[in-house]
Amino acid sequence: MSDCMLRLQSVTKRFGTTMAAESVSLEVGQTELFALLGPSGSGKTTLLRIIAGLDAPDEGRVLIGGRDVTRLPPYRRGIGMVFQDFLLFPHKTVAENIAFPLKMQGKSRAETADDLKWVSQLVRLTGLEERYPHELSGGQKQRVALARGLVSRPSLLLLDEPLANLDRELRKRMEVEIRRFQLELGIPFIYVTHNQEEALTMASRMAVMREGCLEQIGDKLALYHRPATAFVAAFLGSPNTFEGDVVGVEDGRAEIAWHGHRFWSRAHDGLAPGLRAVCYVKSEKIAFASSGAALAGRLRDTIFKGQYADYLVCLDDGHEITVSAAPDLCHRPGEAVGITWAADDGDAFPAVGKE
Amino acid sequence: MNHRSGFGVQVLLLAALYLFLYGPILYVIYVSFQIDSIWPFPPTLTLEHHTDLWQRRDYHAALWNSVTIGFGTGLIATLFATLAAMAILKYRSPGSGLVAGLFLAPLFIAPILIGISSLMFSRTVLGMPGSIFGATLANSTYATAFALLVVLAQFARYDWRLDDAAMVFGARPWRTFWEITLPITWPAMLGAFIVSFLLAFNNLEISFYNLGATPTLPTLAWGALRHGISAELYALAAIINFAVFALFTVLYLLLRLGTIRID
Ligand SMILES: Nc1ncnc2c1ncn2[C@@H]1O[C@H](COP(=O)(O)OP(=O)(O)OP(=O)(O)O)[C@@H](O)[C@H]1O
Ligand SMILES: [Mg+2]
Repeated sequence: MSDCMLRLQSVTKRFGTTMAAESVSLEVGQTELFALLGPSGSGKTTLLRIIAGLDAPDEGRVLIGGRDVTRLPPYRRGIGMVFQDFLLFPHKTVAENIAFPLKMQGKSRAETADDLKWVSQLVRLTGLEERYPHELSGGQKQRVALARGLVSRPSLLLLDEPLANLDRELRKRMEVEIRRFQLELGIPFIYVTHNQEEALTMASRMAVMREGCLEQIGDKLALYHRPATAFVAAFLGSPNTFEGDVVGVEDGRAEIAWHGHRFWSRAHDGLAPGLRAVCYVKSEKIAFASSGAALAGRLRDTIFKGQYADYLVCLDDGHEITVSAAPDLCHRPGEAVGITWAADDGDAFPAVGKE
Repeated sequence: MNHRSGFGVQVLLLAALYLFLYGPILYVIYVSFQIDSIWPFPPTLTLEHHTDLWQRRDYHAALWNSVTIGFGTGLIATLFATLAAMAILKYRSPGSGLVAGLFLAPLFIAPILIGISSLMFSRTVLGMPGSIFGATLANSTYATAFALLVVLAQFARYDWRLDDAAMVFGARPWRTFWEITLPITWPAMLGAFIVSFLLAFNNLEISFYNLGATPTLPTLAWGALRHGISAELYALAAIINFAVFALFTVLYLLLRLGTIRID
């Protein structure tokens, strides 16, 4: 990447026997909003702490703006950070908390006041400046943490689940605003979350993390539509899982036999006829079909979700499949339905651990 | 069980406990104002013992020496305990337990042994005669262990990631301590200072061996005891107790008024 701002080179970190980061390599560009997505305990916070200089990696290097900062202490890195549990200073007011990075930079009173005003408006904290952290709601604390991370216009901003405590409406608004700050400031944001909608909404590129390893890294649409590993396929969206036998593999496709049904899907490395395979198909990629349906069943229930609905289809042999579609399809419970999907919408991987 | 009778029993228990704790002290204060200190009944009030005590120059010198040793020990022990507690809790490592153990071990050594051994050490190895300075250092070895207990108890509740946050936002280690750690945890250090001050102020054995003829309040009182409990010792005990009560009252009022906040 030509405008690479942050580069991690095979960063490894162990806590005892836990691998919190295992040979992680990553590049983030100058104007990117990069999302790091992974389940709890996958090492997201650890990676941010290594980038910030709070933990030293056991192996590997961290480069910011082309400079090796692996051995540089945090206060020399010029990074902003929004911590997972805020870490507001309890003995300082909101204004003092937000102004702390400016104070450390030795900014003048006038500059500090200007920046405070700018950032308080940005995160809508005006009027709360004189309160102490223990007098704030969870969402307000989160916005103070966000303001403190942004205020010094750092060269890189790390955000550790910055919206986890906000209600839906505020979260939607902050998602839009964080994207706007990022464009305005023109600096890379590394955005950690375990909420895939948040990652998919905000990021340009993203990485999925699992047990300290980066499973896949790339454009968010590529990760969503073309998962490279079974973990990513299972983690993103809400896929249906079919575990069956590989009947044949040709041309990057595999034919899977599943409980007497047969269908094609994209084949990933390691599939060969006779092996067990797991095939993932995202629920919104399955469609109802009146003719030429791959599978037939009855509609058991409809779960209304607002902009779409989940239709639970019970196949004739008892297996259940979820189909996400527009909520106004007039299917009734008990009605016979047929479902189908395109071969490219399924991703088949070798099944592991079950022989 | 009857709720009210349960309450009555609790009040009685509480009163008995307070009597147990404060009875002897109140008695000493009472006696210090009586003419006959051997059998002070019926009460006959006098300030004689207090004025006698006031005129004894040796007690003035002893008070000054005790305060000096108490202050010096308080400062040294608090400083060492704070540094040690940060090493143990902030910069946690596999060896932290051993480090803590070695700092706390003097708790289990009898003060009289510390007194004798520190005297021999400074005489033989350092070639220093007994002095206030030596007594302060010897008291500090003992008081540091107690101070560390106090500081550890409070630091254990402190979220050291606040220090991390400050460092990310550009604060160097000293600035971090000054801006974040100290303003939040200073009650721990005040507590450690008070404990080590009192330990050294009241200490007999360690100070005695290291000071020789230089008096402190406890060594002087100990010396005076050899001629029986004289009346001015009651006055001395009463005054010291008053001073301690006054100190605690002021602290309490400061806490109530919110000048000091312990979160
Ligand atoms: N200081 C530490 N000592 C020991 N183990 C640690 C330490 N910090 C993290 N770990 C372990 O490292 C792994 C990764 O932790 P990390 O906090 O990075 O996860 P995370 O992805 O941020 O999770 P979450 O979404 O719950 O915040 C976990 O197994 C955790 O238990
Ligand atoms: Mg985390």
